[in-house]
Formats: sequence, C-alpha cells, structure tokens
Amino acid sequence: MLPGPSAAEPLVEFRDVSLKFVSYRDKQYSLKRSALDLILRRDAPPVSDEFWALTDVNLKMMKGERIGILGFNGAGKSTLLRLLARIYTPTRGQLAVRGDVAPLIEMGAGFNPEMSGHDNIMLNGAMLGIRPREMRKKVEGIYEFTGLREFADLPLKYYSSGMYARLAFAIATEVDPEILLIDESLGAGDVIFVERAKERIARLLERSNLVVIVSHDLGSLHRMCTRGIWMHEGRVRCDAPISEALTAYLTFTQAIDAKAAEAARRPEYAESA
Amino acid sequence: MNQVRTSHSIPHAEYFPRPRTANGPARWLAVVRNDARELAKFWPVVQNMVTSDLRIRYHRSMLGFLWTLINPILMMATLTAVFSQVFDKRDWKEYAIYLFAGQLPWSLFAGSLGECSACIVANEGLIRKIYLPKLVFPLARVLINLTTFVLSLTALYLLVGMLGARFTPAMVLLPAVTLLFAAFALGLGLVLAVANTFFRDTAHLITVVLQAWYFATPIIWGENGLPATLEARCWLNPAFPFIRMFQLIIRDGQWPSLTLFLVAAGLASVSLGIGYVTFKTHEDKLVYRL
Repeated sequence: MLPGPSAAEPLVEFRDVSLKFVSYRDKQYSLKRSALDLILRRDAPPVSDEFWALTDVNLKMMKGERIGILGFNGAGKSTLLRLLARIYTPTRGQLAVRGDVAPLIEMGAGFNPEMSGHDNIMLNGAMLGIRPREMRKKVEGIYEFTGLREFADLPLKYYSSGMYARLAFAIATEVDPEILLIDESLGAGDVIFVERAKERIARLLERSNLVVIVSHDLGSLHRMCTRGIWMHEGRVRCDAPISEALTAYLTFTQAIDAKAAEAARRPEYAESA
Repeated sequence: MNQVRTSHSIPHAEYFPRPRTANGPARWLAVVRNDARELAKFWPVVQNMVTSDLRIRYHRSMLGFLWTLINPILMMATLTAVFSQVFDKRDWKEYAIYLFAGQLPWSLFAGSLGECSACIVANEGLIRKIYLPKLVFPLARVLINLTTFVLSLTALYLLVGMLGARFTPAMVLLPAVTLLFAAFALGLGLVLAVANTFFRDTAHLITVVLQAWYFATPIIWGENGLPATLEARCWLNPAFPFIRMFQLIIRDGQWPSLTLFLVAAGLASVSLGIGYVTFKTHEDKLVYRL
C-alpha cells in the first residue's frame, strides 16, 4: 500500500480553535423586549452568560491514530467531539477535516418513530451521508446483527427500547468511516448484546483511519488508544502517548483527591484540639 | 484483512468555518457552490423527509392517500358555497374556478411560510445531535407543500373541468409560475426560519400577518376585474403578481404579459437572495438558540 501524499497530512487539524457558548438566560429574548429596548433606548440587558468551552486548541490528528480524550466533566471533551462532528462551528480559529466523519455520539438521533424499521435504516444512513445504493447493501448486515428482520415493517414506535437501541447501534456501526468519533455511554441493550457490541466496535475501530474516543473508563482507553489528550477547563493540558497522558491525569486527580481528603480531615483536628 | 484501511482517494480537506477568501460576489459564489455539493450529498434526506411526511399525514385513515385529492375538493366546495352565498354571486361556477385559481397557490405560499418558520425549532433534536446542512429543513417543507399543491391542482382540474374550465396552451406556463412562487416562498421562509429561532414570537405574528395578507390579495374578491385605483394599490402587494398569473392562466386561459412574468421572476430572485444570505449568515448561530 502506497502511503500516498495524504499520509503526511493530518486528517484533522485544529488551529487556535476556541468555542464560545452563549447560554441564554431566557432563551426567548422576545421581540417585545428587543423592541422596547430599541424604543426606550436602553441598552439591551445582558441576556446571556458567555462561556468559553474551548480555548486556543491546537491539535493535529494523523492517520492511524487512536486518540483517547480524558478530563473532568465539563472540561470540553464532548464539545471537542461535537466540533469534529460539525454540530458546532468554531467561534475563533479554524478546523480542517479530511474525510467522512462517523459520529457515534447520539445514536438514533434521526429516527422517526412513525416510520418502519427499514425506512428508518435508510433515513439514518442518508443522514450519515451514505448513498441509498450503498445503504441498501448494508441493510442485510444490520438485520443480521440485530435480529430485527421480522420487525422491518413495524413502525419504530412499537419497538421496545432495547430493540430501538440495538437498531441505532447497528446502523451507526455499519458505516465505513475515515474518522470515527465515539462518546462513552455506548452501553446499550442486554448482556449478550453488549458482548457482541464490543466485538463490533473493535472491528469498526480497525477499519477506521482515525478514532477519537471520549470516555471516563481509563482502563479501556489505555487498551484501545495510542495517544491521550487531557482536556482541562477547555484547554489541552497534556497531549502525549496514552500511558503518559493517563499518568499525568491520574497524578493530578490523586493530588486533588488528597487535597479534598485533607480539607475533610481538618475540621476534625479543630474539634479534637 | 483487518488492517487500517487506506482510502485510495485523498479526501480533500474541508474547513470550518469556511475561510473567507474574498469578499463580495466571489465569496458568495463559493458559498453557493459548497451548498450545492452539500445538498447533493444529503439529497436523500430531503427526499426521505418529503415522502415520509406525505405518507404519515394520511396514515391509518381509511381513504389513505385519496385524502390528498379529497381534501382540496371539499375545501373548495365549502369556500365556494360560503362565499357565493355571502357575496351573492350569480354564477357560482365561474366564481368557483376563480377561487380555485387563487386559493390553491395561496395555500402553497401560506403553508410553506408557516412550516418554514417552525422548521428549525421543530427539528431541535436533530440539529443538536448530528450534522445536517440546515438548508435541508426549509427546503423539505417547501417541497412538501409543492407536492401537495401539484396533487391538489390535478384533483381540482378534474373537478373544475366539469364546471367548464378549459385546457389552454397557456397552461404550459404553470410549472414555471409555480416554481417562481415556490422560490418566492422559500426566500421568505428562510428569513422566517431564522427570525423564529431567535424570536419565538414570530410564529404567532406570522399567522395573523398571513391572514391579513390573504384578504389583501384578490383571491376571494376581484373576480370581475379590479378598478384602476385598486389595481395600482395591489401592485404594492408582492404576492399579487404571482396570484394574478395563476388566475390569468387557469381562469382566463390567457398568457400572462411578459412584464408580469418578469416582475414575478424579479420578486422571486430578490426574495430568494435575501433569504439565502440571511440564512447563511445566521446558520451557525442557530444551534445555540434552540
């Protein structure tokens, strides 16, 4: 296999990417209010809280890499993934992506409960950017994996939640992505299914050119990934081979734990003194 | 064969946000070209939205798809009965054809605007979870209304044929006029989709404005021609040229004048242009307003 000129080029490149979230205190900044503000010549009240979810992120992700993203809740891990999936656009900076992105972030997002299982497979495939002709070839594989062939004509609203999750998972993992995004909580369905799901994800990982995983399960990150990116308060705190990144992250969390434990102990000292 | 798959083609890089290479027309040309590519890729989604919407609408009703045909017939019958009684029309058949010529396009227009304005908010679940070009939503709404319009038009032609409507050569213009009107509606719809996402009050306003606009347009009145002063005032109504063309073609079997056609085409392009620019400049902010 020739490396090709693309081998040297990163599949994903973040250049000084920052993302500002504006959480609107009252989501409906009403027409009435803005009209009144205009008439009364008063300054528009600060209707929003600004919040930089990501600040100056510079990253290059190369072909063949398996990247695990670590960090506390709200550190910007999922935001990073959503930027890659194009749900958000950078407020500043630029993001370059080469190739198809398959997001295993929200599965079954495009499902229409009124439509049959088969129609939903086609619709979901279309939403992932797969041509209908290719999708028709994948339908068999999806039925085989989920065992839902006999329910193909049943509207989705009559599916059990387990069946629903299974179908969503099967569609999302039937793709052949260049870039695969995985957000933790993939634990869908019953026990037997979970085993098969793991196997299926493993195979999917193998055929993707680049995998980015967000997870709190450090063990599986260590197993699956080659590189770790530790996000802290919207910034990249550490970007290194996975074991290094994990060590740095663990040292940090332990330090915090120790501090917390100490803080918890102190009042006791005060009491006993 | 479980190896990292190397793709044979080098995928070209996409940049977000798109780099602003130039300003002015060149930049917008690039934006349009990019959108055309995106829409081509996601066209199956639009198709799917349209067909599923039409299928689900009359799902489980006994007459099923026939309702697409029965519905407009019943509606027109009611309107004709009421208005010909209220306004004491001598020749209700003539009036029915006139009403039909204006009412159906108006439904296309009003339906598109109403649904477009709600489409972003209604698809919140999708927009926050996966990437789709946002243009897909208003476009699908207009296409659904367009399909309904074509079906209703066919159904009513069968009925109206019995009332004495003629099939004339001018009817070959109907598709062009319909497309112009749909483009006009899409342009306004794009503006409203953005406006309603930022100000939810818009939806309530639209209902009232559309109602007023309906009565301000010669659809239920004016079947005997308009006095000069009134007609001059009607020209201020941007929906008027379109409705007039439909009435000329369907009721009178006449070719609309070139001026009328060009005015309509101009209005459609202006509306579509403004709508597109508004939508594109706000597209990325929509997700934070849901």
